[in-house]
Amino acid sequence: MTLRTTNPVLRALVSLKLTIACLAALMVLVMACTLAQVKLGTWPAVEIYMRAWFVWWDVPGTELRIPVFPGGALVGLVLLVNLFLAQLVRLELAWKKVGLWISHAGLILLVLGEFVTGAFQVESQLAVEEGQTVNYVESPRELELAVIDVTDPAMDDVYSVPAARLERGGAIPIPGTPVAVQVRRFFRNAELARLGPADPPSPVTAGVGTGVAVRERPPVSRDDQTNQAAAFVEPVAGGRSYGTWLVSNGLGAPQSFTHEGRTYQLQLRSRREYLPFAITLKDFRHDVYPGTQIPKNFSSLVTIANPSRGEQRDVLIYMNQPLRYEGKAFYQASFGKGDTLSILQVVENPGWLIPYVSCVLVAIGLIVHFAITLRRSSRRRQAASEA
Amino acid sequence: MISRLDSPSRPSGARALALAAAVSVVALAGCRSEEIAHYRVPKSSGSAAPAPAASPMMPASGQVPAPPSPVAGSKLVWTLPARWTETTGGGGMRYATLKAPVGGRLDVSVTVLPGEAGGELANVNRWRGQIGLPALDGPALAKARRPLETKAGTVSLYDFTSEGTAKSRVVAGLAVVDGNSWFIKMTGDAGAVDAARPDFLRIVESLRRDASND
Repeated sequence: MTLRTTNPVLRALVSLKLTIACLAALMVLVMACTLAQVKLGTWPAVEIYMRAWFVWWDVPGTELRIPVFPGGALVGLVLLVNLFLAQLVRLELAWKKVGLWISHAGLILLVLGEFVTGAFQVESQLAVEEGQTVNYVESPRELELAVIDVTDPAMDDVYSVPAARLERGGAIPIPGTPVAVQVRRFFRNAELARLGPADPPSPVTAGVGTGVAVRERPPVSRDDQTNQAAAFVEPVAGGRSYGTWLVSNGLGAPQSFTHEGRTYQLQLRSRREYLPFAITLKDFRHDVYPGTQIPKNFSSLVTIANPSRGEQRDVLIYMNQPLRYEGKAFYQASFGKGDTLSILQVVENPGWLIPYVSCVLVAIGLIVHFAITLRRSSRRRQAASEA
Repeated sequence: MISRLDSPSRPSGARALALAAAVSVVALAGCRSEEIAHYRVPKSSGSAAPAPAASPMMPASGQVPAPPSPVAGSKLVWTLPARWTETTGGGGMRYATLKAPVGGRLDVSVTVLPGEAGGELANVNRWRGQIGLPALDGPALAKARRPLETKAGTVSLYDFTSEGTAKSRVVAGLAVVDGNSWFIKMTGDAGAVDAARPDFLRIVESLRRDASND
């Protein structure tokens, strides 16, 4: 392998030392991220260490943030450039190197695949009770204020306002409706309790929240904790206020008001993505080994109904046997309500095949390279023995 | 994007493309849309999917404590007019859902809550708020109240119609029986409520204690 460049920047970018430095930095990041998960939970730790360009340190007592280490995204990008340029600059374009070319392409694809996953993978949940039909998935870590026009007896018009928009406050006009929602206050996490005599008076004038006290709590991020968000919102339609309402993902029942003959529901809930098909849970099974409580199998027998395809069929989803349908994979993830509720983890990742393709490429490349080297070596031996 | 990686004959173009692709992919990861989305979807069966709180992996956190169940011995029954139907429950804290044989948007419900359930003024103002009417004060409430004597005791009846061109109307009765608050409420388009009102009043007048429960 000869280096065919004199440009110092290019030389640095293609150097093997940079590859080693990147791999070492990734090891440090993986270790730090794993340790941070204990305190922060999986998702925030991955966002802070792996998906960020830099790992930042908040200087205590100040507003200052200092980058202290390259983040996973930056290290991945440098590694990607390094691998790519090294392939072009270092590897000669010859048949005897074809195995290495294939393996390198596989490695580049592997790193690139992680960027595709980071950018496009969407994880959500589908919770369905036996006998229930559900046509949406929910993102437990993202919330939305759903303003739903429920007037039509068969169809709902759902207007989804992301929680990030609520956090900014102010008036939010709902397009296509005469309704605007004025956000009075937003709590990322709050405790809701019955309004007691010691509580300050509630600003809520309508809905079920009039008797509820909202106490702000610091947001949580660990996997076993859930934020209970809450907001005081005032729907205004046709210049008329419909009062101040409390909305929260901790309140079960939706609340509604009627304007000009149309009824609108207000609900702060996990962000929903509606599906072009519906899933009905026919049966959930939680099998245990005889005489013990040790789980043997969890499975959900579901019916998929897709009117656009004229399709209606039963599918059994069980451990490690997900249902792959319409670009989504439905995994058996959890259960509840005395084994009548099944919770499926729903993963949508357009790049899910990339790691498999990369591993196959790397393996093929190594086999080809080994075969070429073996052939060359055996020829040399043959030549030596003939001489 | 991926296919371009194995084209070493034009390294500079390929490099630029790969870099641009990687940077744009990473940049996309940081985007968090604040746009309001609109979906038109068929109504789901049953109630909304239970929150992940039901999962053993995600324990419930600080829900508002559920109201205690109504005390026993205070069940009310009523007589349904011809062609009216009823189903028990119906979601939330509903005791029963009644269906009137009239067209248009109409919802008739019976709800029971323990104690005063926030009080008469708060509940009446909640109903008024649902159709965009301003809250009443104590004297205005007394003026709006129409007492109706039934076998279950006195029912306070209220009737409100919204403003605007497409009017909504709510007719609702409230009775406190054996420490529980009973609400019987009809709401919907003003025309539909108007058509069902005589029958609804007959239902309210027929309210009585359930003999089988005593």
